[in-house]
Amino acid sequence: MALFLAYDVANNPLNTNEWAFPVCEVLHILGFAVGIGTITMVDLRLLGIGLKKESAADLWKGTFPWTLAGLALALITGPLIFSSDPNMYLRNASFRFKITALVLAIIFNYTIHRWVALKKSPGGVAVLAGLISLVLWASVIFGGIFIAFV
Amino acid sequence: MPPEFIQALQNMSFATAIRESAIVFPVILSLHLTGMGLFGGMILMTDLRLLGISLTKHPVSDIVNGLRPWKHLGLTLTAGCGILLLWSKAAIYYPNPYLRIKLVLFALIIIHALVFRSVYRNVADLDRSPVIPGRAKLAAALSIILWLSVVTAGRWIGYWEPKGAPVNAAQVIN
Repeated sequence: MALFLAYDVANNPLNTNEWAFPVCEVLHILGFAVGIGTITMVDLRLLGIGLKKESAADLWKGTFPWTLAGLALALITGPLIFSSDPNMYLRNASFRFKITALVLAIIFNYTIHRWVALKKSPGGVAVLAGLISLVLWASVIFGGIFIAFV
Repeated sequence: MPPEFIQALQNMSFATAIRESAIVFPVILSLHLTGMGLFGGMILMTDLRLLGISLTKHPVSDIVNGLRPWKHLGLTLTAGCGILLLWSKAAIYYPNPYLRIKLVLFALIIIHALVFRSVYRNVADLDRSPVIPGRAKLAAALSIILWLSVVTAGRWIGYWEPKGAPVNAAQVIN
């Protein structure tokens, strides 16, 4: 936190340029829509309620680069948005909740979620993994929106 | 539309309740964004499949037909929440030029759906076709452009302020 004490946010281009901040927000939304949308496709298959003609493993492999690209875009624009007012974000309870959910969601996605999706016959654990994934990613979105309201 | 009517919409008790609640408004906004995650991401994947860029190992019909009900669910959630958000601040949003741009874009999206109806209805034909026809690719490219424009216009709504009139910033933001 001390890192940000001597940092003058007024000089940040995000605060001096009228367009920079909303452009970052639009790219952030685009990034998470692609990232979370593709993860949801795998989740629906794991839950056995969508895309039943494909296997979860094929969907995982097919969406993998797009999930990564979407998350990368969100993870590049996110810290930029954060840099516009670091001290506000660090004190914000909803931001802390969001980051916690985000770290858990990413770890879950590339460990258990991946393992279950690539398994030959996932069974009941698939439903659980799909549900946990959906709840974690929804928490990230809710936490993000509530930053402006707490 | 007459301003009295717009104001009357905003003054309805449920609209006032949404606007004035510290929880309900952001919850609806979060659901609006969650719908975008579900629906927007899947639209892009469908369009990229039609363009032959993503999920090329899966038949076009599996992706287009398989995602259709979920895109509909996402659209219902996003649009339903959007209408509630708009209704709750109808008089505040009414003069906003970006809202008007967004509404024009929705009209274009409806026209797009009507014009390219045959593309999305006969996806089984695309499975049999050795290359994806130009018309399907055009439909997909236009769809991506239109939806990206919707998101952009939507985000810009929050940054516009009426000239001259003092505004309560907390009312307009988001």
